[in-house]
Amino acid sequence: MIAHFGAVFVAAFLASAVEFVEAFTIVLVIGVTINWRSSLAGTALAVVALAAIVGVLGTALIRYVPLEALRLIVGLLLVLFGLKWLKKAIMRYAGLKALHDEEAIYEERLAELRARGVTPGKRLDPFGVATSFKSVLLEGLEVAFIVITFGIQAGSYKGMPGMAVAALGAALALLVIVGAGTLVRAPLQKIPENTLKFVVGIMLASFGTFWGGEGAGLAWWGEDLFLLALVAFYLAASGLLILLLRSGARRAGEGSERPTRRAIE
Amino acid sequence: MKRILRALKSVYDFFAGDAILLAGTAIAFAAAFLLSHLATNALAAIAFVLLIVAALVTTLLREAGGSSR
Repeated sequence: MIAHFGAVFVAAFLASAVEFVEAFTIVLVIGVTINWRSSLAGTALAVVALAAIVGVLGTALIRYVPLEALRLIVGLLLVLFGLKWLKKAIMRYAGLKALHDEEAIYEERLAELRARGVTPGKRLDPFGVATSFKSVLLEGLEVAFIVITFGIQAGSYKGMPGMAVAALGAALALLVIVGAGTLVRAPLQKIPENTLKFVVGIMLASFGTFWGGEGAGLAWWGEDLFLLALVAFYLAASGLLILLLRSGARRAGEGSERPTRRAIE
Repeated sequence: MKRILRALKSVYDFFAGDAILLAGTAIAFAAAFLLSHLATNALAAIAFVLLIVAALVTTLLREAGGSSR
C-alpha cells in the first residue's frame, strides 16, 4: 500500500510539473510584457476557480458515484490521457514531431504580444489578467483532473486519504517549478519536458489500465504488484514503437532524397 | 448552437483529441467488460491490454503515414 501511495505521489508530481511549466511560461510572458500585477492577478483568480472546481467535483464524485463505476470512468479517462501524452512523446522521440521548446514558445508569445502593441504599464490590464487566468486555469484543470482521479482511486491508508497524497505531489511540483523559475527568471527550457511527458504517459496509461480493468470486472494477478508489469509492458511497447517509427522515418527521408539527387545529376 | 459545438470540441480535445485513441480505448473497455463476464479472466485481461496498445499503434502509424507523405 505504501508503494502504491508512493507511485501515486510520483505520478501526480511529474504530471503536475509538466503542466506547471507550460502555465509558468505564459505567466512569465505576461509579467514581462504587460506587468506583474496583471499576470499575478490572473493567476490568483485561476487558483481560486480551480480550488472551487476541485472542492465541488472531488466531493461530489466521492459521495454520489459508486466506486466500481468510478473506477471504470476514471480508468478510461486516465488511459486516454496517458495515450495522448505517450503518442506525442513517442512522435517527438521518433523525429515525427518537433521537440517541445519552452524557450521558443516564450519568444513566440513575447513577439505576439509586442506585435499587438502591448507595452509595460503599472495598471491592471484586462487582457493580461484574462490571458494569465485562461492559461493557468486550463493547465491547472489537467492537474486538478489528475489529482482527483488519482486521489479517489488511491483510497486511504492508516487514516491518510489518497487525495491528500496526490495533492501533496502536485503542490510540491508547483513549489519546485515556481521556485526554479523565479530563481532563473527564464522559461524552464532545461527541464526535459519530453522525457517527463513520456514517463507520465506510461504511468497514466498503466494506472488507467489497472483501475479501468478492475472497474470492468478483471482481477489482476498479484493485485497492486501487477502495476509494475503494466509499466514494464508499456515501456517495452513504446520503446519498440520509437525504434520502428524512427527507422521508418529514416527510410522515408532517404526515399524522398533519392529522386532529388538523380535530378541534380 | 455554435457555442455548444465549440464547447463539446474543447471537452473532446481536453480528454482525447484523437478519434482513433477514443474509439480504440472505448472498444478495449467494452471488450474487457464483456469478456470478463463471458470468457476467462486471463483472456479478458490480455485482450484488454492488447486492444489499448493497438489503438496507440494505429494512431501512430497513421501519423507516420501522414508525415512521410
